[in-house]
Amino acid sequence: MQKELRNITTEVMDQIKKGKIKMRSRIYFVIGAFLTLFGLIICVITSVFIVGLMRFSFRTAGPLSNFKLQHMITNFPWWLSVLAVFGLVVGILLIRRYNFSYKINFKVVVILFVSAVVISGLVIDIIGVNDELSRRGPIKDVMRKHFQDRSVYPVRAFR
Amino acid sequence: MLYDTNLSDEEIIEKVISNDQEFYAVIIERYQKKLLRYASNLIKDEEKAIDAVQESFIKAFINLKGFDTKKKFSSWIYRIVHNESINIVKKHYKEISLPEGIDFKSEENIEAEFEQKELAGEIEKCLGEMPLLYSEPIELYYIESKSYQEISDILKIPIGTVATRISRAKILIKKLCKKN
Repeated sequence: MQKELRNITTEVMDQIKKGKIKMRSRIYFVIGAFLTLFGLIICVITSVFIVGLMRFSFRTAGPLSNFKLQHMITNFPWWLSVLAVFGLVVGILLIRRYNFSYKINFKVVVILFVSAVVISGLVIDIIGVNDELSRRGPIKDVMRKHFQDRSVYPVRAFR
Repeated sequence: MLYDTNLSDEEIIEKVISNDQEFYAVIIERYQKKLLRYASNLIKDEEKAIDAVQESFIKAFINLKGFDTKKKFSSWIYRIVHNESINIVKKHYKEISLPEGIDFKSEENIEAEFEQKELAGEIEKCLGEMPLLYSEPIELYYIESKSYQEISDILKIPIGTVATRISRAKILIKKLCKKN
């Protein structure tokens, strides 16, 4: 056994000295954290959109309601959700690969996160913050351009 | 040994990260024996256990800059060995199932009956017959002398679950050892 034990030290240290194994740079770990954070932020934005869409679909009434809903679904930025999932999955994979000791139960985190986003999305929609944001500040121009590019003239927000 | 071995694990890791890579040998020598015993008990094959420990030291070195030196290095390296060993177990062996006729109900006071030192000897004998779910936490507690918090860090389970599994493992050991 003692011989084998000595071999572990020798073999590992030999590989280190010969440069066969190298420490990963800190940037690798920073990218992991960044992608997770990025994924989370995009996830929040997407979820707020989705919650708004759901609320709108429940409230729609009148002759053009179906058209408006279809229009919202067609123009929904689905690529955002793909980006969110990509960021989260890659980020978490990187974090899990190097971070062996942190006790993160990702299932619980995801459930809590989704609940928090749905609730906050509802609150934001009820208070009307999203509507206010789309009429004022930097988002106003982005939304106006988005609708103009698609030749859409929203009913209320951009008059 | 040329190195100052009075340094804590975390201090040594900081030295290794800041280009004193020779110091990594101190870490390997500090842990290899304990880790080999731990991996051998999980894998039940000394050759594969040596491979698992060696691979763990290599993985730890590669990912050293991702280790938070405010945390315990021992929990981190045990976690890596746990992952490596479980991968090998999943690849090569079937999980040991609970022997028939064994349940966890016990009217006797197990705590009073088994003192830690006596239990350590019993554990080594009966460990191989226990499912990994129970053998691993009890081994970490009695043989590797880890605290509930450390076991919780290594196995990524809540402290309450650690306590439950250790308590059930005690009952199991008693019954398995009696059976033998």
